[in-house]
Amino acid sequence: MAQVTLKNIKKSFGPTEVIKGVDLDIQQGEFVVFVGPSGCGKSTMLRMISGLEDVSAGQIGIDGRDVTHVSPSKRDLAMVFQSYALFPHLTVAENIGFGLKLHKTPKAEINRRVEEVAKTLQLEALLDRTPRQLSGGQRQRVAIGRSIIRNPKVFLFDEPLSNLDAALRGKMRLEIARLHKELKDVTMIYVTHDQVEAMTLADRIVVFNQGRIEQVGTPMELYHTPANPFVAGFIGAPAMNFLPAEMLSEQQVRLGETVLDLPQSSALSGAVTLGIRPEHIEVSDGGEIMATLDLMEKLGSETLLHLTTPFSDSPLTARVDGAVELTEGQTLRLKFNPNAVHIFAASEVRPAMTA
Amino acid sequence: MERENRFWRVALLALPLFVFLALVIWPLLSSFYYSFTNWNGFNSDYDYVGFENFKRIWTDRLFFNAIVNTSIWMAAAILLPTILGLSLALLLDAKVRGSKIFKTIFYLPICLSAIVVGQIWVWIYQPDWGLLNTVIEQITGSRFNYAWLARPDSALYAVIVAWSWQQTGLSMVIYLAGLTSVPSDLLEVCDIEGATPWQKIRQVIIPLLTPSTVVVVALSVINSLKGFDILFIMTGGGPFNSSDTLAMHMYNESFRKYFMGYGSAISVVLFLIALTIIGLYFRQLKKVDDIYG
Ligand SMILES: Nc1ncnc2c1ncn2[C@@H]1O[C@H](COP(=O)(O)OP(=O)(O)OP(=O)(O)O)[C@@H](O)[C@H]1O
Ligand SMILES: [Mg+2]
Repeated sequence: MAQVTLKNIKKSFGPTEVIKGVDLDIQQGEFVVFVGPSGCGKSTMLRMISGLEDVSAGQIGIDGRDVTHVSPSKRDLAMVFQSYALFPHLTVAENIGFGLKLHKTPKAEINRRVEEVAKTLQLEALLDRTPRQLSGGQRQRVAIGRSIIRNPKVFLFDEPLSNLDAALRGKMRLEIARLHKELKDVTMIYVTHDQVEAMTLADRIVVFNQGRIEQVGTPMELYHTPANPFVAGFIGAPAMNFLPAEMLSEQQVRLGETVLDLPQSSALSGAVTLGIRPEHIEVSDGGEIMATLDLMEKLGSETLLHLTTPFSDSPLTARVDGAVELTEGQTLRLKFNPNAVHIFAASEVRPAMTA
Repeated sequence: MERENRFWRVALLALPLFVFLALVIWPLLSSFYYSFTNWNGFNSDYDYVGFENFKRIWTDRLFFNAIVNTSIWMAAAILLPTILGLSLALLLDAKVRGSKIFKTIFYLPICLSAIVVGQIWVWIYQPDWGLLNTVIEQITGSRFNYAWLARPDSALYAVIVAWSWQQTGLSMVIYLAGLTSVPSDLLEVCDIEGATPWQKIRQVIIPLLTPSTVVVVALSVINSLKGFDILFIMTGGGPFNSSDTLAMHMYNESFRKYFMGYGSAISVVLFLIALTIIGLYFRQLKKVDDIYG
């Protein structure tokens, strides 16, 4: 049975509907990541699950119980905020033990469990400090500590790492992954903007767009078989390229002068949009697609090529090995990996996705 | 250009500096000076008497009476407006209908001078037709004409109530402003962790309002030390010195009994007490700043 069930959830702020009917089942022990563009309603969805925000319509179940109208503290969940939300007047130990103290847990018991949690999160040396005396990463560990001490069934994270610098973010990401492994059977729902966080942490990713779910699936499912161009453009960095193309037959697509043979037949016909990820484009003497190299971004192990093609206004990005020697302005021959070509109906592609 | 700027800067600062020197520093220094004399307030001849005035303080029964009254007065004048102001702010912060009107009503007394407030409460306490006794008569149904301000048991406390009525509005406004800066996510943590409303107030909101409390208490201390006019209007320190505070005692000695030298000695002691309190307070302030600053 699912741990968290969302049934046709809707939410309006005044006249504007920001969540337009969301259905989702989350299994016990699952790590689910919500992604989507800014303002699509991820935080609102998370806050409705927590109970901090009321739903306008629909039903929320946790552990088989209808909690739609149950107060946040009775839902047996914990939330970690982007801002950490630590109490400035309490020490690290008091912050971690806050929930236990509210429920009149004996002092000795609080101390024991605070120390246990501090050990898990490597905070033992900091227990007597106040939040002001901590670094960002340490603060976020304290916030996590405060939420795990009560052993809640469900963890909610709203962009917990976005205030940290890149290096620390990578480190904390690993810690959260480790934590999820250690706390068996704990369900985690995690909102992020960060591709890498979503791909590496998630058992399943939920892609939101304008208050609706576009697709739910494992990171690899979303990467390899995106349901629509929105998901295709959203998952993977740099984003997938979209090019105008034409179906010649069920398994043949024409791109400019070139005809590609598809491994699978497509139900679409006529004008379509062809999607290809930068990493599936190869610079090769045998390539049939001609493009001009405008700009190179050398990242060390790999190089990003920004190209223009005669058959599309928008630039094309390719990702090649860092050792490849090229000069800007050069005309290149490209080869698309046919197994990685996606065909979408032309009408589905909206400008926002290629931005 | 630069020179002209400097000129205006100095000129504009000179006036407040002059006012400060004339109205604060000069009287302060003259008080120190006269406290070592037996000046009576108008005669031009007076003698230097050394520490006589200060020795006299030790044997002045009324001085110690004034110390006790000042302690009661200050304790109440700090605690009552602070507690009431905080309670009102917490009640009115909720987005209930009419809270704006109530905020205005509670703030209004601040706009009145202490003289006016004193006079209003003199009427309220009036034994025969005052509002308070009238209400008590309505409730109990029997004649009631207790003279609140004319009884030694109640005079000081009656003035304290009037004073708090005025000061509460001020602390309420400061706390209302403070409440807007309490981060909402901290309150949401309370909701998720299951804090009762009282726990939320006691363990989170009040500690987070510490910067506001610092301001409220500082103002209360300063205002209550200065709180002379309302006592002067309502009781004049009586009856039988039962509402005599240090400031009131100093006034009586200097301007009613014409012991200007002795009055100055009392004012010097009052000044030192104020300095000590404010000094201690600023030490606390530094600690607060370390946490919330
Ligand atoms: N309290 C509110 N009142 C009115 N509108 C709101 C409120 N909270 C959120 N919204 C609106 O709801 C929409 C969704 O907001 P939400 O915060 O859930 O987005 P998000 O996906 O978390 O975005 P981000 O990635 O920027 O955090 C936005 O258009 C926002 O303006
Ligand atoms: Mg958000």
